[in-house]
Amino acid sequence: MNKIEPTILKGTRDFLPQEMMRRNAVMEIIRKAFEQFGYSPIETPIICPAETILGKYGEEGDRLTYSFKDRGGRLIALPYDLTVPFARFVAANYQDLPMPFKRYQIQRVWRAEKPQKGRLREFYQCDIDIIGSKSLICEAEIAKIIVSVFERLRIPNITIKVNSRRLMNAILQSFGIDQNDSLAVIRIIDKIAKIGKEAVISELRKMGIDNAEKIIATLTPEGTNKSTLEKISKYDIAELKEFLSYCTDLGVPEKNIQIDPTLARGLDYYTGLTFEVISEDADFGSICAGGRYDNLCGLFSDKDFSGVGVAFGFERIMLLLEQLKITGNGKAPSQVIVTIFDENSVKDALQTYSKLIEANIATEIYFEPDKLSKQFKFADKKQIPFVLIQGPEEREKQEITIKRLQNGKQKTIPVNQLVSYLSNYYEAQ
Amino acid sequence: MKRNNIRIAIQKEGRLRNPSLEYLESLGLQFPKQNGRTLVVPCKNADAEILYVRHSDVPQYVQNGAADFAIVGGNVLYEKDFKIREVEKLNFGKCSLVIAVPLDSSIQKIQDLEGERIATSYPNSLRKFLRKQKINAAVIEIRGSVEVAPALGLADAICDLTQTGNTLKENSLKTIETLFDSMAVFIESPFESIRKDEFIKKFITTAI
Repeated sequence: MNKIEPTILKGTRDFLPQEMMRRNAVMEIIRKAFEQFGYSPIETPIICPAETILGKYGEEGDRLTYSFKDRGGRLIALPYDLTVPFARFVAANYQDLPMPFKRYQIQRVWRAEKPQKGRLREFYQCDIDIIGSKSLICEAEIAKIIVSVFERLRIPNITIKVNSRRLMNAILQSFGIDQNDSLAVIRIIDKIAKIGKEAVISELRKMGIDNAEKIIATLTPEGTNKSTLEKISKYDIAELKEFLSYCTDLGVPEKNIQIDPTLARGLDYYTGLTFEVISEDADFGSICAGGRYDNLCGLFSDKDFSGVGVAFGFERIMLLLEQLKITGNGKAPSQVIVTIFDENSVKDALQTYSKLIEANIATEIYFEPDKLSKQFKFADKKQIPFVLIQGPEEREKQEITIKRLQNGKQKTIPVNQLVSYLSNYYEAQ
Repeated sequence: MKRNNIRIAIQKEGRLRNPSLEYLESLGLQFPKQNGRTLVVPCKNADAEILYVRHSDVPQYVQNGAADFAIVGGNVLYEKDFKIREVEKLNFGKCSLVIAVPLDSSIQKIQDLEGERIATSYPNSLRKFLRKQKINAAVIEIRGSVEVAPALGLADAICDLTQTGNTLKENSLKTIETLFDSMAVFIESPFESIRKDEFIKKFITTAI
């Protein structure tokens, strides 16, 4: 019989247990941070009517959105990010939501682009958004959460780049750029980190913007936020100043925030402050990004809610953790494995297994009596730290032996001390 | 709660109590001999009062500003991991936190503790030590009479305070490692106040 090739699609991945344990641990840290700040979890469907997704991100976003016809001939799209599905969610459910509403959402999104480092076609985003408040305290809170998340993940040297869409539009206008052109101009400026200043200037020139060099010079950040703001002080910088002042009160370290007037964020829906987080240690783009969007919910409802939020790029964070060598060890979930010495040991082994599970110690049992060496080998492969052995002699004396595979050390103790021994065991390394 | 008195917390009962009172008297503070039940005793010659509390609770009171000053064993500060400003080390209440094993034990050096059961009333201090030494072991927490744990088959070693070593000897135990030496310290709450500054000027700076 012909076998089916066990292939998967380009840009998708299988995750084996070790890696999955690491991913779950990181996701849990992020989730805990979000909940610490009072964000509630939600989930939205994976398959969506295409019109809820398309037309929100700009040309490139539309092109990269996965879409297909379902059996009823409807055009279906997969989420390109979690912000647009969330805006749709709010429009559909706002009557049941406490406003302002703070939610977090950790789900997969899909982009049909060329797979690159830290960016597959199917990947996780971890989003937080606040909807229904225009206060800049929201933006400052987001900055605080960003710092907190990366601190918890022990990722050092992160910078939150911040800009204001309103300010950027005002600056562009003062250089004679028509409002209709500004989105196109912003999209070019957005590429500055990718292709460099010179290339951006020449692309702008091609658009017929002769003063491109001056524009870029005006937008380029200075050494400190203070001097950056001074340079553009003839424009309305009140928004950025208020944001910075809230950040100070919230204890967001100044070194982590950089006002960067060139920061564009290619997406169309941003209207206020925009964020992009970069790491000095990463050789790829941003690891978290977002901003304020005033009109997104209005696309789905007569009610209009202003929202602000960021998405943490989970895959890139995993990649960065790996580069920084601060990934956990991805051990098997079990702390303990109960071996079965021989047929006569089955009953005691099962009882020990049950006792440990009831004491909340993550435990598994080897499923049949077998050579101990084989059972050890299995435990070793799964990296289970404690192996329990109870042969006839130990059974006689109501004792049990605990073997540490890491160093081969064995300790025999009374069976009734087993739970206390394991739950008080201190792992120094 | 508004409070006009300086409050000094000391051990309610135990080895630090009397030397602590003597120390406060040496600063020039006068107070009636308390009957053992009153928890707050006012000073006769200063706007100050003495607060008698459980020894292990002393740092908590100072940390939160419920007491302005306190006398506490350095071992308690270390165990509770409180970072509180020390005004002065006091020359009493000396003791050591040690690891001891039965005289006939096969455990001879700290590396032999790997995988063993260690009974203690100072679990955090012990874990800090184990972490530094990279030793994995079961830390069995016992509130008191730690020294009998090995004889009862509950532990292979103990980690406990000792002053003279007599208790260890009586229980056929020998010290294999000293974690740290400790003495009483005079500590100060982290909150600034004029009241506190004045008190330091009047009683403490002159006495030191």
